Amino acid sequence: MGPIIPNELIPAEWNFVFAILIGIAFGFIMEASGFSSSRKLVGVFYGYDFAVLKVFLTATMVAVIGLHYLDYLNWINMDQLFVQPTYLWAAIVGGFIMGVGFLAGGFCPGTSLCAVGIGKIDGIVFTIGLFIGILIFSESFLWLQPLYENSFLGHITLDETLNVSPYLIIFIFTLIALLAFFVSDMVRKRVKKVFY
Amino acid sequence: MSATYTTKKILVKRSYQILALILIVLAGGLLLIPKHPKHEGISPELFAKNILSTERYIASDQLADRMINEDPVLLLVDTRESEEFRNFTLPDAINIPLSEIFSDELNPYLNQDIYDIILFSNDNFTAEQAWMLSTRMGYQRLYILDGGLNNWFATIIQPELPKETMSQEAFELYSFRKAAGKYFGVANDTLEIEVKPVKKAPVKKVITKPKKKKRMPEGGC
Repeated sequence: MGPIIPNELIPAEWNFVFAILIGIAFGFIMEASGFSSSRKLVGVFYGYDFAVLKVFLTATMVAVIGLHYLDYLNWINMDQLFVQPTYLWAAIVGGFIMGVGFLAGGFCPGTSLCAVGIGKIDGIVFTIGLFIGILIFSESFLWLQPLYENSFLGHITLDETLNVSPYLIIFIFTLIALLAFFVSDMVRKRVKKVFY
Repeated sequence: MSATYTTKKILVKRSYQILALILIVLAGGLLLIPKHPKHEGISPELFAKNILSTERYIASDQLADRMINEDPVLLLVDTRESEEFRNFTLPDAINIPLSEIFSDELNPYLNQDIYDIILFSNDNFTAEQAWMLSTRMGYQRLYILDGGLNNWFATIIQPELPKETMSQEAFELYSFRKAAGKYFGVANDTLEIEVKPVKKAPVKKVITKPKKKKRMPEGGC
């Protein structure tokens, strides 16, 4: 049955409509959860607020468990879903830069736009920096291209690489996530409270 | 700390515990549910729809036109056995025998979305089989040369001369086919049977005089 657009259950033009609707809902919920505050976001690094960790891990768990149940019921074909290709070194270096930017600026790209939406000055400054970063990356692309393209590993997934059942990976991942919630709560209780 | 606050805290804690339990049960459920083998490739409904559609056929004239225009996305695949392929094939065709379409070496040619792949064999039969197996796996942009090489011979290499009473389009198609045949290196003219005009002797007009009918004797003497 699904995914509904590749299987032509509805026309491909609906892609944009869904993108806008999901984008609006995503932005609204992020702002409502306080994710437009850089203090809340960096709380995960200082140990006084782990909302980011909890929200993202819960979202991942709900999505992965839900998708596999839908796949089991033949309501969605997992083989037709897009798997982001892995460029190993590009991901490591890019992840490091993104982490430093996240910690220093207090936003990730999505939340910074969310902050711009409600008129936060730090969000606006961050977004300007984001575009400067894009410009620098684009201008130095020829120089960065080997790093960007070389370590291509294809559309790999954990279960195929490790040759383990995906269900086992999901179960272990769920346990790890719940353990992370528990540990993060213990850390939060020990760290001095920050009011913002 | 008031009693209400403590109760609220316990309730919140309890709700988190229930949510965690639900997640564990759902994730564990995935491990425990009985597994059934899934069919590979596209759904049977879509496969049936594809089979009923005749869009997969490409006419020899259409293919010749694309080959002459050097269409960059065209990839000809000969599905006959390699021996037959060596004897004769279409220009720039590659050989993927039916038995080897899923081999590691040759499969990437079919499982792609860059080229329009034209499958052909002597007739439709082997190419159809290759098309069905590949389409079943969800491969894209696969076509079949309608009528196979036999029809290619009958239309491009040895086109049939249209009858005098046929339409202008038939003659245009014939001249296209002749030109296409020449493009593919066939000296068409040698294949034609020369029809020598037979000189007929002028027929002499013979005027036959109507013989006078013998008059029947009237009466008796």
